[in-house]
Amino acid sequence: MPLVLNGATSGSTTIQATDAVTQTITLPNNSGTVLTTASTFGGTGPAFSAYPNATLSISTNTSTKILFQTEEFDTNNNFASSTFTPTVAGYYQLSTLVGTTTVITSEAIIWIAKNGSVYKYLADPYASSIAMLGGSCLVYANGTTDYFEVYMTQYSGSTKTISSSNQVVWFQGAMVRSA
Amino acid sequence: MILYEKILSIYPSLTNADFSPFGGTILLQNDSDGRGDYIAKWEHPTLDKPTDEQLGAA
Repeated sequence: MPLVLNGATSGSTTIQATDAVTQTITLPNNSGTVLTTASTFGGTGPAFSAYPNATLSISTNTSTKILFQTEEFDTNNNFASSTFTPTVAGYYQLSTLVGTTTVITSEAIIWIAKNGSVYKYLADPYASSIAMLGGSCLVYANGTTDYFEVYMTQYSGSTKTISSSNQVVWFQGAMVRSA
Repeated sequence: MILYEKILSIYPSLTNADFSPFGGTILLQNDSDGRGDYIAKWEHPTLDKPTDEQLGAA
C-alpha cells in the first residue's frame, strides 16, 4: 500500500514500494531536500563537447575567439555559435585545448571568457615552439544570461592557423555541482 | 596587411608589451563572426587611436 502525503494546500506526494521486492531505505541523520532521477545536479546536468569543422586564422597580437562548430554531444542544447550558455544554474568544469598547424615561436595566451570579458587565463607559454595550449577552470553560471567562450592571442609576429583536428582543438564542459 | 601591421606602420614604436593583456594599453580583437580584426581598446597614454582614414591609407 503506497504512502500518500497530502500537500498543505494542494497536491500530494506518493511513495510507492516495488512489489515482490523488500528494500530498506535508511535516512541520514540530517535535514535536506530529497533528490530524484528528475532532479538536476552534478552528474545529471548539462554537458557538451565540441570541435572545429575548419581551420581558423589568428592574427598576431589579436585576441581571437576560437570556433567549435561541430558538437560531439550537447546534452541540454546549451552550446551554440561556439558559446556555452548553460540554462541550469550551477558550477561547471570547463576545459579546452587549442593547437596550431605551425608552431608559435614566441608567446601565446589562452583564456575562458565569461560574458565577453576575460574570466580565467588558462595558459601563457613563452617558448620558441608552441604547438598546443589549453587548460581547465571551474565557473559559476546563473543559468540564464551567463555565457562562456574560448579566446586566444599569439605574439609570433605573423598570422597562424588553428587546426581543425578534433584531437587538438576542442572545448568541453559539464556541471559538477548544482547552484 | 592585417590590422596589427597597419597600426605598426602608423606607430612603429609600439611593441608586444603595448598589446599584452597584462598591462597593455591596446587590445585588438576578432570575435570570429566575419567582421574581422578590430580595436577593442585603445588607452595608450601618448598615441591617439588611429582613425579609419589612417588605417585605410596604411
